[in-house]
Amino acid sequence: MNETERLLRRQAEWQRERRSLTWPEKIRQAERVRATLEAFRAQRRHAVAVQPQDRRPPLGVPHETQ
Amino acid sequence: MRDACVISDYALFGAAAQMRYTEAVATLDADVLVAVPSPDRLDVLGPIYEYCRTRGYAPEGEAVRVGAWPVQFVPVFSELTREAVCAAETADFEGVPFRVVGAVHLAAIALSVGRAKDMARVLALLECGAVSAEAVRDLAQRHGLHEAWARFRSRFIDERD
Repeated sequence: MNETERLLRRQAEWQRERRSLTWPEKIRQAERVRATLEAFRAQRRHAVAVQPQDRRPPLGVPHETQ
Repeated sequence: MRDACVISDYALFGAAAQMRYTEAVATLDADVLVAVPSPDRLDVLGPIYEYCRTRGYAPEGEAVRVGAWPVQFVPVFSELTREAVCAAETADFEGVPFRVVGAVHLAAIALSVGRAKDMARVLALLECGAVSAEAVRDLAQRHGLHEAWARFRSRFIDERD
């Protein structure tokens, strides 16, 4: 068995273990993931909000090309 | 809510219900199918929101915040979802009995909705052995989803073999 096969086997075993957790444990895992997702979303919203608008060329002005 | 006749029945579905069978999946809210006594009301969810509001559960967008989770109430929208609520199982959530849509109905509802994440849900339920392809096919066909099932099968099952 090579290293890749060992890695895949470990990954499959890990997935089986996660699947065999109780339902409440899995819901709690999802809660933690959700908190992270919401943080990412908030960060993205913030990044969009603070992006300076004046970097965009005015309509009708061709973009600079490199 | 059932005792107060705000709803006649309910069952958790979507990702939170899927997790009874598969590993945990990322989701932003909990989806609850509800059968209501007056489904023809224009504001069909109005009484549910009002009931929640009077008990301190605030609306949050299209959901109602309950503890850590925004809960989205979805009125039964087809014969399939009506059947899913009737046939729901009572699961135990840390000592609290909870009505949850069973695996075959979860798969068939996902098939009927048909977004990429719904296809992933059907596949996850099949791969973990919670449902058989035959059971999903039979339920899908009973609810007029022949074509959706055929598309899913050719894309994800036949291709895999």
